[in-house]
Amino acid sequence: MVDGDTIVLQCRDISVHYGDVVALSDLSVAFDRGKIHAVVGQNGAGKTTFARAVAGLVSAQNGQILIDGKAIPPGNVSGARQAGVELVHQSFALPPSFSVAETMQFGAQNRAVYSRKGLEKRWQKHLDALDVKVSAGQRIRDLPVETQQSVEIARALVTKARVLILDEPTAVLSPEGTAKLFERVRRLQEIGVTVILILHKIREVLAIADTVTVLRGGLLVEGPIDTSGIDAARLSELIIGPDLRVVDEDDRAALTGSAAVAHTTAMKEAADGPPVLDVRSLSTRVDPDGPALDTVDLTIAAGEIVGVAGVEGNGQRTLVRAISALADVSAGTIELDGVTMTDAAMKARRLAGLRVIPFERNVEGLSLSSTLWQNWSIRMLLERSILAFIQPAELRKRCNDALDIWDVRYDNVSQLAGSLSGGNAQKVILAREMDDQARLIIAAQPTRGLDIGATSFVWDSLRKAKHRGCGILFISSDLDEIMDVCDRVVVMLSGRIVEAFEPPYDLKKIGAAMTGLSK
Amino acid sequence: MSDRIVSIIRALIFIVLALALCGVIFSIAGYSATGMFQAIIDGAFFRNNALTHALRWGMPLFITAVGVAISFRAGYFNIGAQGQFYMGAICAAFAADWLNGLPAAIVIPVCFLAGTTGGALWSLWPGLLRLKSGADEVITTLMGNFLAGLLLVYVTSGPLKDPSGSGQQASSTPLDAAYRISTSAGLSPVIIAIAALVGISMWLLVNRTAYGVLSGLAGRNATMVNWQGAKLVNIGLASFIISGALAGLAGTVELLGPNGRLASGFLPAHGFTAILIALVANLSITGIAIVAFFFGGLASAALYLPVIAGLPATAIEIINASIALFITAKSGVIDRLVRWRKGR
Amino acid sequence: MHDIIIAILRSGTPLIYVTLAAVIAQRAGIWHLGLEGLMIVGACATILTIVATGSVFIALCVAIVLCVLMSILFWFVVEKLKANQIIAGLGLTGLGLGGTAFAVEAIFGTQAAVSAEFGLPRIGPMFGSYGVLSILVVLMPVCVIFMWVLLRRTRFGLRLAASGEHPFAARSVGVRTDLMRLAALMIGGVLCAIGGAELAAGSLQIFSQNMTAGRGFMAFTAAIFGAGQPIGATLAAVFFAVVGAAGIRAQLVFGDRVPHDLLLGLPYIATIFGIWLSAKLRGGTKAVTGFGELRDS
Repeated sequence: MVDGDTIVLQCRDISVHYGDVVALSDLSVAFDRGKIHAVVGQNGAGKTTFARAVAGLVSAQNGQILIDGKAIPPGNVSGARQAGVELVHQSFALPPSFSVAETMQFGAQNRAVYSRKGLEKRWQKHLDALDVKVSAGQRIRDLPVETQQSVEIARALVTKARVLILDEPTAVLSPEGTAKLFERVRRLQEIGVTVILILHKIREVLAIADTVTVLRGGLLVEGPIDTSGIDAARLSELIIGPDLRVVDEDDRAALTGSAAVAHTTAMKEAADGPPVLDVRSLSTRVDPDGPALDTVDLTIAAGEIVGVAGVEGNGQRTLVRAISALADVSAGTIELDGVTMTDAAMKARRLAGLRVIPFERNVEGLSLSSTLWQNWSIRMLLERSILAFIQPAELRKRCNDALDIWDVRYDNVSQLAGSLSGGNAQKVILAREMDDQARLIIAAQPTRGLDIGATSFVWDSLRKAKHRGCGILFISSDLDEIMDVCDRVVVMLSGRIVEAFEPPYDLKKIGAAMTGLSK
Repeated sequence: MSDRIVSIIRALIFIVLALALCGVIFSIAGYSATGMFQAIIDGAFFRNNALTHALRWGMPLFITAVGVAISFRAGYFNIGAQGQFYMGAICAAFAADWLNGLPAAIVIPVCFLAGTTGGALWSLWPGLLRLKSGADEVITTLMGNFLAGLLLVYVTSGPLKDPSGSGQQASSTPLDAAYRISTSAGLSPVIIAIAALVGISMWLLVNRTAYGVLSGLAGRNATMVNWQGAKLVNIGLASFIISGALAGLAGTVELLGPNGRLASGFLPAHGFTAILIALVANLSITGIAIVAFFFGGLASAALYLPVIAGLPATAIEIINASIALFITAKSGVIDRLVRWRKGR
Repeated sequence: MHDIIIAILRSGTPLIYVTLAAVIAQRAGIWHLGLEGLMIVGACATILTIVATGSVFIALCVAIVLCVLMSILFWFVVEKLKANQIIAGLGLTGLGLGGTAFAVEAIFGTQAAVSAEFGLPRIGPMFGSYGVLSILVVLMPVCVIFMWVLLRRTRFGLRLAASGEHPFAARSVGVRTDLMRLAALMIGGVLCAIGGAELAAGSLQIFSQNMTAGRGFMAFTAAIFGAGQPIGATLAAVFFAVVGAAGIRAQLVFGDRVPHDLLLGLPYIATIFGIWLSAKLRGGTKAVTGFGELRDS
């Protein structure tokens, strides 16, 4: 047990509910001053809720949070900040139109009227002191993600922060970026800041943290444990828990991010006939959602899963949009199943077997305020004329059958999509996009935010589709997942495909390619 | 409890809240709130022939409100129903003026064609500005209302001016009785048939075609529908055109039916009331039919109040505006209450 | 020349005050279509109170109090009851237009215009022909600069902008976004009251039904055109005023050869042009979209 004086943050029995969902229940945990702590667990384990409860963004229904032995008011960000707690969000909380200096100022204590020059000068000093390489006059929206993250960390340090919580900071970074972040974290530790890192990869935990705390299903499993006294296998057991049916060792390693080399056995199946997708020297104009593609070549054979790795925002989105007739193609060709589709409308591509599981489930994939049967039937409706006569009763019946096959948990097909959990909502999309006529399935971030059970369900479904002879384009920002699922991996950087890899994969090499270091 | 019943309860609660606000305003102005509401209810539903009057005012409102619902469903705040209504009436009046003398069997259909086309065109340009350039349709359609109002003033005091007319309100020459589809009472089989036709065809369009499902989805999440590969521009333009055409049709009905002539600034609250009807009915076509009847009653009460009860007709405007203020509210309190009851 | 400038200042000043209200609301994340209603309440309250009490000061106070109360009502409906901003705003406008007509009818028993014996104080003969302008015209540039400093050079302005642009970011540094919106709407209410007072009592000393004639919506457009910047929006409002003044001038020049009802439409056409141009320049105004679920989340 630790001495009371060394504890900087203590949580006593905190519970958080969102409606009927229990996100965190009776969590009691204490963190030592001046160390680097990791909090790990799968999606849905309550990590983010824990971080937000400590930072005052969500109000715990009961329990107490103490900083240096003093209780802070629940659900009060200002109170938490005054006590010295700062939180850096996973998808940053920075207004895009603000300049870096304005971002600093709006979180600061200073109320006086400022001049733009004076403001930039003052905060440039702060940024330089933290070794953040950015000009204070730049706009947030013009910065790459890694710099945005550094800016948000700098923003969190404008007041005297004692406890800095970083919520999944590595999710948006390349392995190189992660290494740099960890250096920064160590320097913060040296100046006396206690850092709590929310992570979900064991490899990263063991690389940086002094202690580790494991959450599962909103409950504390164990912790804080000194990382010197625990190994990857034991940690992986704690994270996944006893009752999961994941059998495959590779899947286990991918779920917890503990392997350095993955997919040791190549499982490529013989492909005959033309490739399902054949993209040749494809270039696009700049897309509102990302950089332009620059002479991209990509083929996917039937029965093959090809993964696209890369830091987010390097053209993955544009690639998907180009294949789905949403981005402006300026040169090159796209063939689906041997038929040229470069200028074809989405309807023709749909009929040729193109299916898309989009990046953002709740934005691009589903209309949350529409019913399940409407969400499910839209693909079929768009394959017909817009004035085609429909029978809602029949559509509801067919939707019902399809959702049952996909094991969706729902009350009735007329309920709103927004009432489903993330995993079930994703299954509705799978039911829509992975029918028997599918030839090419684009799966963009299909497991983002899903818990272990739902994640392995998605992986299994994709593998089944592959065995049926579909070609699959798999896009993910999680390298472990890509290495586990894919038969081949290409790496995208600034709108180009820079390198391709065959199994067995080496995390280090792929990571190097993502940041352009290997060439 | 189904979602539909929840939404009806919610609408009723907020309407009561709106009426309470009206009561406060009436009291501040020195009227007895209960007396005012009593007079309005009498005027709307309980005086002699009140139901006939409610129907007469409800029919054109129904037609326009269905149009409003079509564009709102697709996610476009086309609040230019008033302007499109005026343009329909103006175009129909010009058509009747040019063809004056020809048999009614030719003139009346041409008037309807001109009226719906006029309304559709007056809705098409904001639609194009929105869908091709991204110009916000709320402002463009509002400005369209002001412009159509000015055009109506110009037409009734210029090209179509009734030379024999006198008084403050400029108006056009009355139509030949042969071209009218109803008397000034405003109810006739033709008008009922038109309203029924609009109701049935639009119900089918919304509930039994792919367009209905797709436009509803697009209205709630256009990004998703775009990713699915739908042509949002086509769905959007169709919605703008249909809503404008229906408002124009209502304008034509008012012209050829009860009004019989164009008058500058006639029925200034028609478009706004139609928007309210569509919202109160939660954009459902059958709902609009019921709600339009009630607002038709209120509209007829606006004529009754000053004459019989000696009260200001603007009281109806206040009621309508208060309902607009509250009708889209979706307080979590009510939903929680309903869920709590369900949980027990 | 001088009379043109005077005409532009007279018609532009009320519009600019209301434009500033639109700007601050827009920065806080509220698309405020109730400005028209607030403005006419300000105009009506000013004239009626001058008639009743004979005091301009009391009249301004009454106008401001009423507009602020209505702003609080609007805030409650859109922020606490989560009503749709567009529809609730139009409702507020309808309440203002209907309520003022109702009040006039309730007090005077007729719908005719109400005129006051005197209006706002003038700046006086020492300014020559400009002496007919009211003190609120002189106050206007001060107000514009004050709003610019408030919105662009203070932490309050940054927090307000963050509440509109990225409420989560604002919340995560401890900003109460709902209170920021309340502050923005209340300041907007004061500005609308002043704008309405200048419109009714600045030069005409008269209140008539619907006398705002869409100025609230023009102000809203000017704020969009200025992309939420006080100075840019003010310039857009000046542009609308110039177009309006040009229409009246054209009437005097051309007489009956151009129908004057159509010349009255010039400001509306300018507004449409303005919204189209700002959409063109910025790739579409995405802010106002239907009953989208995306705006709620």
